[in-house]
Amino acid sequence: MQILRQTNLEALKLAMNIGPEKTLKILEEKSLVGRGGANFPLAKKWKLAMNSKNKSKEIFLICNADEGEPGTFKDKFILKNNPETLIEGILIASYVLKTKRAFIYLRNEYDYLREELEKKIETILKNSGMKNKVSIEIVRGAGAYICGEETAIMQSIMGYRGQAMYKPPYPTDEGLWGKPTVLNNVETLTCVPQALLYDDWNPNMRLFSLSGDIDNPGVYEWELGVKMATILDTIKPRKERKAMSFGCFGGIMPLNKDSTINTETICKEDCQHGAFSIIFIGKERNIVDICLSIAKFYAYESCGKCTPCREGTIRILNLLKKIRDEKANESDLVLLKDMAQHIKETSLCGLGQSSTNHILTALQHFKGDFEKYLIKENRIDSTNNKPQKQVKNEN
Amino acid sequence: MGKKEDILLNILHEEQDKKGYISIEALKRISSQYNIPISRLYGVVKFYTMFRTEPQGKYIIELCGSPSCVQNESREIEKFIEKELKIKIGETTKDKVFSVYKTSCIGCCDEPPAMLLDGKPVTKLTISRVKKLLQELRKNKSKTKKPQNKIKKVKKR
Repeated sequence: MQILRQTNLEALKLAMNIGPEKTLKILEEKSLVGRGGANFPLAKKWKLAMNSKNKSKEIFLICNADEGEPGTFKDKFILKNNPETLIEGILIASYVLKTKRAFIYLRNEYDYLREELEKKIETILKNSGMKNKVSIEIVRGAGAYICGEETAIMQSIMGYRGQAMYKPPYPTDEGLWGKPTVLNNVETLTCVPQALLYDDWNPNMRLFSLSGDIDNPGVYEWELGVKMATILDTIKPRKERKAMSFGCFGGIMPLNKDSTINTETICKEDCQHGAFSIIFIGKERNIVDICLSIAKFYAYESCGKCTPCREGTIRILNLLKKIRDEKANESDLVLLKDMAQHIKETSLCGLGQSSTNHILTALQHFKGDFEKYLIKENRIDSTNNKPQKQVKNEN
Repeated sequence: MGKKEDILLNILHEEQDKKGYISIEALKRISSQYNIPISRLYGVVKFYTMFRTEPQGKYIIELCGSPSCVQNESREIEKFIEKELKIKIGETTKDKVFSVYKTSCIGCCDEPPAMLLDGKPVTKLTISRVKKLLQELRKNKSKTKKPQNKIKKVKKR
């Protein structure tokens, strides 16, 4: 696997020899983009922070190891199997950005990896001669999914509730303690030394976290545009397959073995690939159940800051329960879709905006699964908005 | 602000590592030591699900509730644990041996169903495995619990 290639501090030496500008140029030429899901060009992000109009010239660096998206475990894979290259990536970033203080925000679910990581940091800082120039501190997360969001993670490091903030100002202008801050994902920073050092480094390789109704779940590496047939051959679906869900946030789309996996084909189905975590769904499962478990997740994890997400995720959950309990009619389905769309359009951060992708895409591709549960005789009454029977509340 | 010792989350974790929870007394102490209003501290502690403000059982079980685990029968494990320990998710057994929680994804989707036992992953759970594990832990309850690792700061100088 490309991501497991070791660079043994050679990339850092190279960067120091050629200087920050040339290092940035190489990373730009190698088309290294962020692996967190947004595909933002890495060199561009670093330049934004370096050219910020902020009076403070100190730049903070955060390595985002708060991999909270259900079904995603590629960062854990890197932290376990190639932490040396990740730390070297942090050091290269610190050298280019002139960062004195870098953070690794490690989710508390991965706390068992911390001790080993601390030892590695200590050794590599010593061996690289950077010990006096930069500190790498591990910040222990505490179970909040929202802290994977760039403004929330900074609030969390600064000791506040991890809630999303309005943008602008963007973190590259005003981040941690009001100073420019660069935030990169574990996989992105691991790619930095590899991209610098190896001429044959392929920018299109991606890590896939595959799980669900399959026999061979795990982390795999393929080039963008990989055929679904290749993936299926490797993972061995346990049962007849039906759909795939991109984590919880990316939406649910039908599984077609002739399709290819890249940004365009996934966007065409109104889904988002994010960090390529795919949960496979077998044919015997009802999509409403899947949506219900995703909706529970969002209702639980909403940070509570903005109304559409705080209230909306709970209402979506209640509506789905109503559908599952066979108490809903077609107007509820219309309401579900409308509400999902509103939450998507009006929530503050990426979490809220994508919290209903699963509903919208499921309604688009698997509406039949929802309709199975509807009360059929009430259909005409409800669409005409006739007053429904009032149930006396004895409490 | 922005000094090394100011990472509040690490301070709170260190406190929690000592006793398994963060008491009001501890919050008062941190509040005066770091000059942070206690209201803000309490708000922070209550925001993060992995901080506890009540005494916990000797062993903390956190069951993964992610779709990947749910698709691999984690609900059966959940029901079994509730029945076996005679508590509901979110509660602590009367003898203070177990506290059981449900968490969002713990990143073990490649070995489902999974849970964290005192922060360490236990994967590929089956009812018989869980039964054996609970019995073993109950036997060990009289033994003293290993002190948890304290956070080591990576020193700058």
